[in-house]
Amino acid sequence: MDTRDWALVIFTICAQMAVGSFIILGVVHFFVERKSGLQEADRMSDRALLAIGPVLVLGTLASFLHLGSPINGWRAISNIDSSWLSREILFNVLFMGAGAVFAVMQWRKLSTATIRNAIAVVAALIGVVLVVSMSQVYMIRTVPAWDTVATVLSFFTTTFLLGAMAMGTAYAANYTYMQRKSEPGCGPEGAQCDLLRYALRGLAVASIVLVGVTFVIMPLYMGYLSNDSAATQQSADIIVNDYGVVLGLRLALVFLGAVLLGGFIYRTASDPTRERWMINLAYTAFALVLISEVLGRFLFYASQITSGLG
Amino acid sequence: MAKQLAFYYDQSVCTGCKACQVACKDDNDLSSGIIWRRVVEINGGDWIKQGATWGQNIFTYHLSLSCNHCEEGICLEVCPTGAMHKREDGVVLIDEDKCIGCRYCEWACPYEAPQYNDDKGKMSKCDFCYNYIDEGLPPACVAACPMRALDFGELSELQAKYGLVDNIYPMPDPSLTKPAIVITPHADAALAGAEGVSIGNVEEI
Ligand code: SF4
Ligand code: SF4
Repeated sequence: MDTRDWALVIFTICAQMAVGSFIILGVVHFFVERKSGLQEADRMSDRALLAIGPVLVLGTLASFLHLGSPINGWRAISNIDSSWLSREILFNVLFMGAGAVFAVMQWRKLSTATIRNAIAVVAALIGVVLVVSMSQVYMIRTVPAWDTVATVLSFFTTTFLLGAMAMGTAYAANYTYMQRKSEPGCGPEGAQCDLLRYALRGLAVASIVLVGVTFVIMPLYMGYLSNDSAATQQSADIIVNDYGVVLGLRLALVFLGAVLLGGFIYRTASDPTRERWMINLAYTAFALVLISEVLGRFLFYASQITSGLG
Repeated sequence: MAKQLAFYYDQSVCTGCKACQVACKDDNDLSSGIIWRRVVEINGGDWIKQGATWGQNIFTYHLSLSCNHCEEGICLEVCPTGAMHKREDGVVLIDEDKCIGCRYCEWACPYEAPQYNDDKGKMSKCDFCYNYIDEGLPPACVAACPMRALDFGELSELQAKYGLVDNIYPMPDPSLTKPAIVITPHADAALAGAEGVSIGNVEEI
């Protein structure tokens, strides 16, 4: 793998995490609002929302580092007609724009909640299209290791897994912050405390399911690689023989972070006396899963083999 | 004017001397690591038992390859800037002013034709010596071959004259990009994807 491809690892991970976070934030907000009303829901979400912007900006800046001539970067949008790379960039810009509009309106409480929600839904849909186009960039007919549904599926599991983990962390950080400021509702039995537990339980379950999906896709995908063609066999060889340790680490960390710690988070979230535990576990789980996903994406690029002479 | 220029390669007479590769490199002043036309060496064969004795059926053939200026070049599809473009005569060129050096074409091309120029931060590729073509002269590689194994012309005319072979191992399935190349195969040439053959000069190409 070319060193410059690390820029793509950072870009794709950050952009997917941002999309996932935005969608998860919306879903959690929906449930939390039904439980405790709009005001409490906004108290929980608004700071978490602000965390998404920098992640997306960081990813986008990293994507420029991948270019040999970054000054010319704006031209990358010129071949919308046939290039998924152009489309990916277009949707990245649109998602950033729609997300920013929503964030400003939400933070300033501009317009009505219904209109803000509508804008959030539009931004989320653009986010989904962004992840679809990201996967299309790699699903090119001359790179059989990439040209499979596994690419779309794994991009979406990454999106939602990192989204869930990142938002769990953001809620926990927001809660700790409110506690320090002695804001109401943050003690045992408080509304915010209650909501944090509720959200973390849901996110833990979602994460465990997503890791389950990953563990189903993985062996099927490896089976495809070792059987399809000379090019895919070479890809399988890189993953298993050159980077077997990385693969093992990637799987171990995602299992540890999302399944094992996810289980602990679920249990501690049901017990009000173990609040610090729950929060620290959420941070640790996010760190482990993030490292695992970065390693997974590294393997994705490292196993790039073009058919023929490529 | 030609609708789709193409290379013709008579593999059956090629000796693997690399005059084409060197002429190309020299004429286009390619920096180290960049070779627009490469000569691949392919080896195959094994020990075989003939009655009570062991013999062998080993063989070597060569494959001189540049960009094939494909009819359905995937480089053209994926390039996000439109830097990769096709002239009216079918020649595929890179517009350096537009290229951002994203290297997407390099990933996509199954002939390893686009090669990255690190000094410029741009992609580079065989341009069919269009400066010579426009003056009615042959490309440098064609002019240099001592065996007259290389030629060029309108794809349909070359096909009518020499046939339709466009996939000699290690070339990919031609349906991927429809390469504009016509080959007269070496007697030992295994078709694309054959087993028991391998590239002998991996580090050179
Ligand atoms: S050989 Fe590669 S670079 Fe040349 S036209 Fe075909 S796909 Fe494009
Ligand atoms: S490197 Fe240049 S020619 Fe190749 S796809 Fe990118 S912009 Fe197009």
